[in-house]
Amino acid sequence: MTIIMGVNFNEKKLVRAPSLSYDANKKELSPDNEPTLQKALESFYGLGPQLAARIMAKNTIHPLARLGSVPPKTITALTAELSTMTIENDARRIVQDNIKRLRDMGTIRGRRHAMGLPVRGQRTRTQIETAKRLNTLERGGTYSKI
Amino acid sequence: MQPTRWLLQRRSVWKGPHIVPLAIVRPKPGEEAKPIRTQARAATILPSFVGLKFHVHNGKDYDEIDITEEMVGYKLGEFSPTRKPFIWTRK
Repeated sequence: MTIIMGVNFNEKKLVRAPSLSYDANKKELSPDNEPTLQKALESFYGLGPQLAARIMAKNTIHPLARLGSVPPKTITALTAELSTMTIENDARRIVQDNIKRLRDMGTIRGRRHAMGLPVRGQRTRTQIETAKRLNTLERGGTYSKI
Repeated sequence: MQPTRWLLQRRSVWKGPHIVPLAIVRPKPGEEAKPIRTQARAATILPSFVGLKFHVHNGKDYDEIDITEEMVGYKLGEFSPTRKPFIWTRK
């Protein structure tokens, strides 16, 4: 097990992208479907593919490297770098504060967030599953499904 | 003069903020401010509006809103909802 920012990761997990394997039937490269594969860095909230790629390049890690193959020194460097970034709860708080400000001002956008409905004038007769899932005052919080 | 970014609210720079000529009457000191009645929901709230009261039309009647500092850059209509929430038991 390797620990980054207090989160345990399986050694077989990739640092970033899922590995590709040759699919003989489709004659193309497709993502490997092993259940242990996951993007360790991208599993942090507020850290996407672009930032992850940048961090990896900075620490000279191969894009398809698995966590077990990364030396502990680099892991410490990664942890140190991640601790200075606005990810996880800091990033969540920024989003929640923005929504809360809209709500406190009494805007229609804040109200729609509180109701869990689409914010930007979409129809509500059908197809509001995404809004139901995401639009809450505590977006990304304990009760949110994101 | 170029209006700052937060006043534009995703409008192009050459257009500038959507400014509507409103009949704003500044209250004399000691007098109570009279709300400004308007149907211009698309009017951008300018920094000079802070502290004023507006009566904004919602399609049926006028909602009263007090302009605070953080409302600057938003539109007047964003603070007066136009739809009644659907409730089953209402008669």
